[in-house]
Amino acid sequence: MTPSQRRWVFLVAGGGFLAFYLWGLIGLPGFGHYPGPYGDIINAIAVTQTHATGVVSAVNFEYRAFDTLGEEFILFIAATGVATVLRHLRQERDTSAVDEARNRDVPATSDAVAVVTLAFIGPTVVVGWYLASHAQTSPSGGFQGGIVLATAFVLVYLAGQFIVFKRLSPVALADAIEAIGAGSFAAVGIAALALGAAYLTNILPLGSTPGAVNSAGTIALISFFVGIEVAAAFILIIGELLEQTLIVREGTGR
Amino acid sequence: MDSLLPLAVAIPLLGAAGISALNPLFGNRRRVLDAVAILTAAGVTGLLVAIMLSTAGGQRVYWFAGFTPSHGVALGIDFAVDQLNSGLAALTATLVTAALVFSWRYFERVSTYYHALMLVFLAGMVGFCLTGDIFNLFVFFELMGVAAYALTAYRPEERGPIQGALNFAITNSVGAYLSLSGIGLIYGRTGALNMAQIGQAITGHRPDGLVVVAFVLILMGLLTKASIVPFHFWLADAHAVAPTPVCVLFSGVMVELGLYGIARVYWSMFGAGLGHHGAIAAVLLALGTVTAIVGALFCFRQRHLKRLLAFSTINHAGLFLIGIALLTPLGLTGAAVYVIGHGLIKAALFLCVGIVLHRLGSVNETTLHGRGRRLPVTGAVFGLAALALADLPPFALYLGAGWIGQSGDARELPWITAVIMTTSVLVGAAVLRVAGGVFYGIGDPPSEDPQMAEEASEETSETDEAKSRTPLSMIVPPIALVALALTVGLLPHLGELVQDGAVRFQDQAAYNATVLAGAHIAHPTPLLGPEDTSVTTTDVVTGVGTAVASLVLALMALYWRRLPVLRRGFEPGTGLVGPIRRFQSGVVNDYVTWMVVGLACIGGALAFAIH
Repeated sequence: MTPSQRRWVFLVAGGGFLAFYLWGLIGLPGFGHYPGPYGDIINAIAVTQTHATGVVSAVNFEYRAFDTLGEEFILFIAATGVATVLRHLRQERDTSAVDEARNRDVPATSDAVAVVTLAFIGPTVVVGWYLASHAQTSPSGGFQGGIVLATAFVLVYLAGQFIVFKRLSPVALADAIEAIGAGSFAAVGIAALALGAAYLTNILPLGSTPGAVNSAGTIALISFFVGIEVAAAFILIIGELLEQTLIVREGTGR
Repeated sequence: MDSLLPLAVAIPLLGAAGISALNPLFGNRRRVLDAVAILTAAGVTGLLVAIMLSTAGGQRVYWFAGFTPSHGVALGIDFAVDQLNSGLAALTATLVTAALVFSWRYFERVSTYYHALMLVFLAGMVGFCLTGDIFNLFVFFELMGVAAYALTAYRPEERGPIQGALNFAITNSVGAYLSLSGIGLIYGRTGALNMAQIGQAITGHRPDGLVVVAFVLILMGLLTKASIVPFHFWLADAHAVAPTPVCVLFSGVMVELGLYGIARVYWSMFGAGLGHHGAIAAVLLALGTVTAIVGALFCFRQRHLKRLLAFSTINHAGLFLIGIALLTPLGLTGAAVYVIGHGLIKAALFLCVGIVLHRLGSVNETTLHGRGRRLPVTGAVFGLAALALADLPPFALYLGAGWIGQSGDARELPWITAVIMTTSVLVGAAVLRVAGGVFYGIGDPPSEDPQMAEEASEETSETDEAKSRTPLSMIVPPIALVALALTVGLLPHLGELVQDGAVRFQDQAAYNATVLAGAHIAHPTPLLGPEDTSVTTTDVVTGVGTAVASLVLALMALYWRRLPVLRRGFEPGTGLVGPIRRFQSGVVNDYVTWMVVGLACIGGALAFAIH
């Protein structure tokens, strides 16, 4: 198809799809009219049943933890896939990051940027750990915390320290940590089986006070493992992409 | 026994994570990793076979984290395992094991990424088969998708694999998003994600726009995965560039999982609520028939062996969909047996092509003509598998084809048998032409269109240089798979056993009661009366006839230029070069446009029929 043919075919078919989709949308309940029952039941029982006051986390890491296990491995395998596609190939060689447009002046990273980003690294790490380890008490959890933790490493790069960034997050190590995070989640489930409970059953003591940091049993544990997996996966993906842009060049080198 | 169910997914996931984590220790001892991956896949195969055998007495339901439903509301996620889905999962694990054994000597350099990707792919496919929750189905759909995209692009040195993987990823992601929006719609109505609970909530109400739209949208991702026309374009591109052991899984099971998904979503969620069986059957039958014909025609014209086999898979996907679309127990039985036979045989064919690539460094039928005589064993296996693909008894495929045809006859749709036979003859002839030409040097090499030649030569060897002998680890898997297809075809009472499973699969009320109330239903109610599954002479004669006709057509294709009557420059299938190039353009924008066209047509047809 030529682009203009494609455009017309798409507009006609897309119009038909839109009309069809609208026919479905008008059947949805009105705004503010939640038909239940899932949310109502979860709201009524989750806190007493799991001792987690972050009910979203209770759903993610306990009621529907098996979904989260799958999602966790989607991220794991996506990072592995990026590493597969961008792995060092035979005909590629490494060069130092030389600016290829030689006739322009590239200013060095200013001291202001470097100081501010470096100053943010510490707080970012703290916030990241806080989020990853407080799924049971607040609307946070491993996915959010892991992303924030990965940001701390990106700040190192933003401060102009790509080499330090690479040294802090070597591919093999990030790979291993990522795998340990993802594997531990799957292993928590197996531990429940070993105790005769169903896969991913919350087998740890729930703690006496809902909302305390040490409450909610495996919810906190799984969230922690998800946190390190997500952080490592994103560091791996960002690192591979930066390396591909900055260092790897096509060539015949050996 | 029930506690083994989650292990079928958890073990391969743990295996993949373990291999990645231990990579720094074992990175340069590749055989350790190979062995761990093979043992994991083999263990899962054994586990799933045991699970399949244990489902004979009824469905097994497993609730994760122990949240059994109360008052018909499911809080957690379940695996709902019956004969058909555990059998499909067992087939999946068998093919993954065969592909991993084949890979033992196939790749010169292989990183741990390959093993991790394969094991996660396995876990995704098994989870997809066993789950009873629509959102969980989507999660596993995505999990196997992401692993499959990366496996397609496993050789990123060339542009082809990246492009093929991108087309695959974009079309399947578009399908997945449409499915997800359908799941969102039906959740907005029912507040449930469990398939049985959704089915119960919408049964007994007149189906309105929301239910119809949700059904059609959920089908989109599944139809794309199942490579049903016009959602099929990604398949040939992905097959042409993916490593051969990966093609085994794409053609052998992944496409079939899309069809399983359609059957599952229909009979566990929408069937009773939607009603209008006639309209739904008509739409699915039309899709299946077009797919079968397009796949067969395009297959016959191909010279690129992997593309040829890929189009043959499209043809078979259409035939399977016809079997499902009949909505009868016997039709589903036929489709299930057909899927098993086809999966084993198609896997063997791809592995033989892998050996050809390993030894001779090409997948172009024209340049390979006669060069396969150096590979007598591979040639014999390929030839036998090609005959089996053309429905030769007693390989399992002729049973599946026969039962789908019989069920069509019983519903006064005799043209179904005609579609099955003619397209099977075309596909069988194409594959037998390859067997005769490449491995026995019969006849003339097919002439070829220059552009097709370019396409076929873009495939370079996946191994470093042509090897002088075929390792045992590469020839044993295809032999074993062909033998297994033969065994399945000879199993006594196969039809009755599978039809029991099909009846259970289609009994939505029994499914609901088992999942939501823990009922044990020993004898499900058949939707329509189960039909006779004894193997008749007609089946055998039809199968033999199809195989013989394929053989004759293949010989005609090979000796075309020496035939006295038809020598005037006409080549069979020449008229197809244009359409193939026009539609199979490799431009993903075109592919997505065709998907939207297909969506609008299916949606329009069902809206018209049900409104």
